[in-house]
Amino acid sequence: MVPRFPVELAYVGPGAGFAFLGSFLALLAGFFLSLLSLVLWPFRVAWLAVRRRKGYRHAQVKTAIFLGLDGLDPRVTERLMAEGKLPNLARLAAEGSYTRLRTTYPALSPVAWSTFATGVSPAKHNIFDFLDRSLKNYLPQLSSARVGKPEHVLRLGRLRIPLSAVLIDLRRKSQPFWKILGRHGIGCTILRVPITFPPEKFDGRLLSAMCTPDLKGTQGSFSQFTTRVERAVYENGDRFPLRRVDGGFAGEIEGPGDTFLEGAPTLRIPFLVVPRHGAFELRLAGRSVRLTPGEYTAWQRLRFRTAIGAAASGMVRFLVTETEPEFSLYMTPINIDPERPALPISHPPYYAAYLANLLGTYATVGMAEDTWALNEGAIDEDAFLRQAWDIFAERERMFLNALENTRRGVVACVFDTSDRLQHMFYRRLGTADRHAGAIEEMYRRMDALVGRAMTFVNRRAALFVLSDHGFCAFRRSVNLNAWLRDNGYLQLENGDRESGSFFEGVDWSRTRAYALGLGGFYLNLKGREAQGTVETAAADRLKAEIAGKLAALRDDDGSTPIRNVYATASLYRGPYLDAAPDFIVGYNEGYRCSWEGAVGKVSAQVIEDNPKAWSGDHCVDPVLVPGVLFSNRKIGAADPGIEDLAPTALKLFGIEPPAWMEGTALL
Amino acid sequence: MNVKLKKQLWEKIAQAAAAAGYSSPEEFVEHVLEREVAKIDREEPSEEVLARLKGLGYID
Repeated sequence: MVPRFPVELAYVGPGAGFAFLGSFLALLAGFFLSLLSLVLWPFRVAWLAVRRRKGYRHAQVKTAIFLGLDGLDPRVTERLMAEGKLPNLARLAAEGSYTRLRTTYPALSPVAWSTFATGVSPAKHNIFDFLDRSLKNYLPQLSSARVGKPEHVLRLGRLRIPLSAVLIDLRRKSQPFWKILGRHGIGCTILRVPITFPPEKFDGRLLSAMCTPDLKGTQGSFSQFTTRVERAVYENGDRFPLRRVDGGFAGEIEGPGDTFLEGAPTLRIPFLVVPRHGAFELRLAGRSVRLTPGEYTAWQRLRFRTAIGAAASGMVRFLVTETEPEFSLYMTPINIDPERPALPISHPPYYAAYLANLLGTYATVGMAEDTWALNEGAIDEDAFLRQAWDIFAERERMFLNALENTRRGVVACVFDTSDRLQHMFYRRLGTADRHAGAIEEMYRRMDALVGRAMTFVNRRAALFVLSDHGFCAFRRSVNLNAWLRDNGYLQLENGDRESGSFFEGVDWSRTRAYALGLGGFYLNLKGREAQGTVETAAADRLKAEIAGKLAALRDDDGSTPIRNVYATASLYRGPYLDAAPDFIVGYNEGYRCSWEGAVGKVSAQVIEDNPKAWSGDHCVDPVLVPGVLFSNRKIGAADPGIEDLAPTALKLFGIEPPAWMEGTALL
Repeated sequence: MNVKLKKQLWEKIAQAAAAAGYSSPEEFVEHVLEREVAKIDREEPSEEVLARLKGLGYID
């Protein structure tokens, strides 16, 4: 559980301050750059033409398309293909190839898509989980990106004027294949491939994806405005009171903090909802928006004006979820506005705005489908499905537009709908519930998308449809920290049996191992962790001891929750191995690490039911959840892995994969 | 930002980077320096670090 912070701490990103400075500097720089680019334009065109002709000289194809369908499971895909329900994928398999695709350890999207991009294992790209930990204080942090604050700030009374740039750092290391292709003059359009925030500079176009924050700097916090209760804080969203006023309801939207003021007080936009012609009208910031119960509004721009007049711009959608006797209004997380991005979300920086102007605005936050709003009951399953499919439609427009406009080069696009729907609707499979078919319907729609992509494929094109991992049920959860406590490897202060989140109450001086994140756990190693207790010489023996005991764990009914415990050093070699968990835990189907254990909480029970709508998962033994790989080309490899796609992309354009890549070209 | 190094050192760095599996000597240098700087770097307030995780679907 994320701790409840005072409201003024809710804003943690650079948001408003960055937006203002960024906008001004961008305007100034843009003016001079435009002038310069006009003068240099003829020379650039000539140089690019020469470079591209050279780049494509040894190419086997004119275009390569990578269509990522996150979480598409091979068992379901194979069954539905056999039943004739996925005609396009079946045709692709028949005319080209289909195989299961080995995933990474752990089988997590940030890890696997980073391997897809770079062709290397996690020990060479540095992404081992969604979370890693601070070696100084054991607290979890996002593994993929760091967003800092300006180092230098001018203080004028209550005013705070940033004098230096904000540090935004991509933690994924090595090099994606599109960067190498760009150096050879091969054009690439990369759309929403996970772990691309902040966007890296390269010779091509890229729109960032997973782990792009919202305007508040979080990974996506929804708001619910309601007459039901006073202010409350959800696990990953906020509930705000609506006041009954003459003829309607009044409330306030809480945005990012005003970083130009001491303490960064929260920026707010008041609004009013009034009944109108059988529906409602939302009045905010001088405009009116029609609210029809059960229907999402279009994206609405919110401008949060700071003390010095600068504004941070975000995008939200509203949904009236109930009207009588109580009134409730759901608001999506405040997405960074692609037309006025407060943080860089694309490369080149104008590309996000270009897409919005061309195709309409779109969701920008990393995990855009609001799974937490459904988990918390702020929206129902129908509303979640509509939202997820709307986001799919936005992505599809971008993808098809890129295909239409790419005569030569690479288009890579990842769709998340397949992953999110399986997370949220797995519990409906095989039931009489009216959403029992939601997952199968999703597979059919993904197949239709593949069919549309295939219309762009000719004999000089290579198409790859792939997923990063498969899926299975998540019914029971294992709190590894509780197991470590029960077995004497983790000690709590004062003899307590339970801790708070983030290891609150853990006695590090007597703790030898601890779990954090979704994939594995760590030894408390001397010389590495700030309060390490385990001597390096004793580490291997301890590892073997823990792995052996953990494999013997049994559930109440005698089931085996853990199929394998992998010592990470035996899986991977690379310069970032030190940052990896010491063990990766391969759960059996039906199990996963617990919600609380993932954020360092020691709970009373080791194994508990998973009560949430989030009922499907892939954080299990990677052997159980391979992905899929389809291609219009013949793939001869016996055991293809997701690391093989990057060298394949290079080979297709006649470029020898560099020695540091670990994958092997598939064609 | 450019830092000048002796040519012989750079050649050794390039060899070491390739042997260790880095994608470039620059990546190697950056990693080594980051590790050293991390030892003296100020920790951010924990509330701010943790609040950034809010909304991540996989954790509570």
